[in-house]
Amino acid sequence: MTEGLGLVGIVLISHSAALAEGAAELAQQIAGGATVVPAGGIEGGGLGTSTDRIEAAIEDADAGSGVLLIPDLGSAVLSARAVLADLAGETTARLVDAPFVEGAVAAAVAAGSGADLDAVAQAAEEARDAVKF
Amino acid sequence: MPSSSEDDVAERSVLLPKPLHARPAGQLAKLAGQHKENTIELVAGEKKANARSVLAVMAMGAVTGTEVAVTVTGPDAPAMADAVARILNSAEAADA
Repeated sequence: MTEGLGLVGIVLISHSAALAEGAAELAQQIAGGATVVPAGGIEGGGLGTSTDRIEAAIEDADAGSGVLLIPDLGSAVLSARAVLADLAGETTARLVDAPFVEGAVAAAVAAGSGADLDAVAQAAEEARDAVKF
Repeated sequence: MPSSSEDDVAERSVLLPKPLHARPAGQLAKLAGQHKENTIELVAGEKKANARSVLAVMAMGAVTGTEVAVTVTGPDAPAMADAVARILNSAEAADA
């Protein structure tokens, strides 16, 4: 459990603003009370990932206990890494390799129950092994 | 101190009044995450899930009328089992 600080925040990085927003909405509904911030699309509305949006989302999600970044595909990882390199030493944000929807839901539930960043990251990673039915 | 120990076990059986969809699954996982000293196992027919995993609980695909067996181990197991049964009994009809 985290003490004296807020919950771990989650940032969903997608090429699509709609995908990031929808996944964030779903994860938040299921978790009830977690902070899940979408960082999708680029200025002007096209598909792609924006370092500015990712950085702003990290700031929004940070309640003092760390932030978990979940990318959707390929260059979302590169954009996230660029932001982390930029913020080097000034952020507790961490990038995790996890399925986008399942990872977001599992991480949000863990974060909502007060788990620390290690445990939230682990919940997201374990989602890779979860069967759907 | 109440007479509870690490070895406490409590069982409940709930006939689901509503499907066990994402939201109640999330509530169960959250409860389990807040009580790490407890283990909460759910069994519905052939399907089993540790309540800690929201994805595993959703994957059970338990629909209305399914009998879910709840086994809680750890401190204050009876109270925890009651809390789990409450969530299962109040599962929402909405498919979220």
